[in-house]
Amino acid sequence: MLLTRRHREASLQEGAGRGVEVGLSFPFLAAPPPAVLRGEASLDETLRGAAMGDAHAALAEALLRHLPGAAPSRVYVGNETCERLLPTPQAIGSWVASARKGRLALSLVLPPLSRDGLAKAEEAVRALEGVEESEVVANDWGTVHRLRSLHPGLAIVLGRLTHKMLRDPRIADCFDSPRAPMSARSALCRSGELAPGFRALMERYGIGRREIDPFLQPLEEDEWEGRGERLSVHLPYQFVTMGRGCLPAAMHGEAKGKFVAGGPCRTECAKYAVEFRVPVPGGNGAGRHLLSLGNALYHAVPPHVSERVLARLPSGGRMDRVVVAVPAAGRKPSR
Amino acid sequence: MKLTVPVSHPEEVKMLAENGAGEFFCGFVPPEWIERYGGAFWLNRRGPVAGNLLQRDDVSLLAERSHARGIPVYVTFNAPYYTPEQQEFLLPLVGRLAEECGIDGVIVSDVGFLVELRRALPALPVHASSVMASLNPGMVDFLSELGASRVIFPRSLGVEGIAALCAAAAGRLETEAFVLNEGCVFEEGYCMTTHRSVGALCVQLPDVPHRVLPLTPDAAVSLAGEDRKPAREMMGAFRDWVWFQNGCGNSVTERGIPNGPCGLCALYDLAATGVTSLKISGRSSSSFRKLSSLRMVRAVLDLVEGGASREEAAREAVAIRKTPEFCNAGYMCYYREKAS
Repeated sequence: MLLTRRHREASLQEGAGRGVEVGLSFPFLAAPPPAVLRGEASLDETLRGAAMGDAHAALAEALLRHLPGAAPSRVYVGNETCERLLPTPQAIGSWVASARKGRLALSLVLPPLSRDGLAKAEEAVRALEGVEESEVVANDWGTVHRLRSLHPGLAIVLGRLTHKMLRDPRIADCFDSPRAPMSARSALCRSGELAPGFRALMERYGIGRREIDPFLQPLEEDEWEGRGERLSVHLPYQFVTMGRGCLPAAMHGEAKGKFVAGGPCRTECAKYAVEFRVPVPGGNGAGRHLLSLGNALYHAVPPHVSERVLARLPSGGRMDRVVVAVPAAGRKPSR
Repeated sequence: MKLTVPVSHPEEVKMLAENGAGEFFCGFVPPEWIERYGGAFWLNRRGPVAGNLLQRDDVSLLAERSHARGIPVYVTFNAPYYTPEQQEFLLPLVGRLAEECGIDGVIVSDVGFLVELRRALPALPVHASSVMASLNPGMVDFLSELGASRVIFPRSLGVEGIAALCAAAAGRLETEAFVLNEGCVFEEGYCMTTHRSVGALCVQLPDVPHRVLPLTPDAAVSLAGEDRKPAREMMGAFRDWVWFQNGCGNSVTERGIPNGPCGLCALYDLAATGVTSLKISGRSSSSFRKLSSLRMVRAVLDLVEGGASREEAAREAVAIRKTPEFCNAGYMCYYREKAS
């Protein structure tokens, strides 16, 4: 019998993929595709059917090459940048039931929350009480503080928005340039999370896992392995920035309501993305693509960055989970 | 309410103090930092030279002149994060600024650095920068338990949000909200881009090639039909908004009035929130712009504190700006929901 890290019997999904967990995130869907929740959709099928087909198809190939037989074992619900997309407790309850049948675990993703958003999030989190292997991904320390005080036993994951490091796609791959002073290169390729103050916070709030981006600059080894918590890495999108004002929401409505935090919207984010091509300095006309998804900007990292990240996975290090965001599911896994 | 005013040279103290500054904030970048990092890693939210003091003696002189007028001085150490090595360098530096230069507190963004500062220098007040993006009461509790003395609200927080967090902070933390200048298109605390070498991404975006992508088959049909025009208008509105947030193409008007985000006509409502300080942004601005900004805020705040109605205060705010067309556009407002 194959056992998980927590010494329970491994599911079929965990048995494959060399023990590395693969999570699928559907940040703009009203509900995860039923076939995925039931554990019936393969990784390859789900990703190839995604709206951003090319990037996801290449990622599916790379994932299965590095993690043969990998299958989704966890589903992420909620959105990391917009509290309007916070699921209701009723929806979470129904997904929990479906996921249990499919032997999938559930992660509830919370964005940086306002006062009202925090109150709604507290209700949503209660829907996960007692659900084995469930967890909450928090993207601000106020939410971490509140949830820990309300739920001492809750598994809280520190979301990638709290991982403070520059990741500007226009320039980030120059951060480790040999022409830069060593101290500057080092500072741009690691965070402040190994400093004693941050370590104390991780211990105080009992954080056992943190999310991390696929950085364009190669991170220093300590950033991966010099910490006590486990790491989940996102692919293929690197988070770049977010606003409380929203670009797609500006498609409709009066001017006075556009780009206001909490302003009116028709969830245009579920229908449209905006792709920008920003020039690279000294790039002789070369550019980088930025994808505006909802109120945030992301960059789909190039294959060599995904490869660098995936090459770390089966090593038994701190990183033992991949989270793949699917902005919009295609038809196949929605059956 | 105190007016928290940027200062970047000891010579500015007298002028700003005599025009109503209640607190000063400044930046300090020692030569050792520039030797180590050049311009690659900014010690605070301004480049290594612009808007920063570069000599410790200048910090001492600035503090001495300010204290002579009863005004405290806070120094920004608000880079989004500091590596362990940087924190080892900065902790004794902050200690010397407190003990030898007499600064009254520091402004920080890195939560781990906040913890370390409180451990190493428990008597030194620490303000949580707007870069911490304190948006909810949980964050107020978190900061209070860590021993912060003030929370500076992010630019995106509206007046009602400010009122709610001021109520949550009452008796535990001082509070500070933005009132004038220097917008951020994105949420500053969650923006992982850099202005260094490549300029602000937000300024660049409206002018680079883009395309709207439908995420579903139905959206593709809509984009070819009823959503075609709204999609085009969306980008036009975005361009306008970015322009206003970034100072309307020039940081002052031809009449010498500061351009850029403004909360003057919301001062009546801000006063009612219980917020304890109002921040005028712009450490790297000219002395002229700092003074002009301060005079504008002081004039409207004096009206509010003198008993003017919301309408009277708002009317004066629009009048002294002398650009009603900018006010009417709405995109220049810090607190558009309260704009008159």
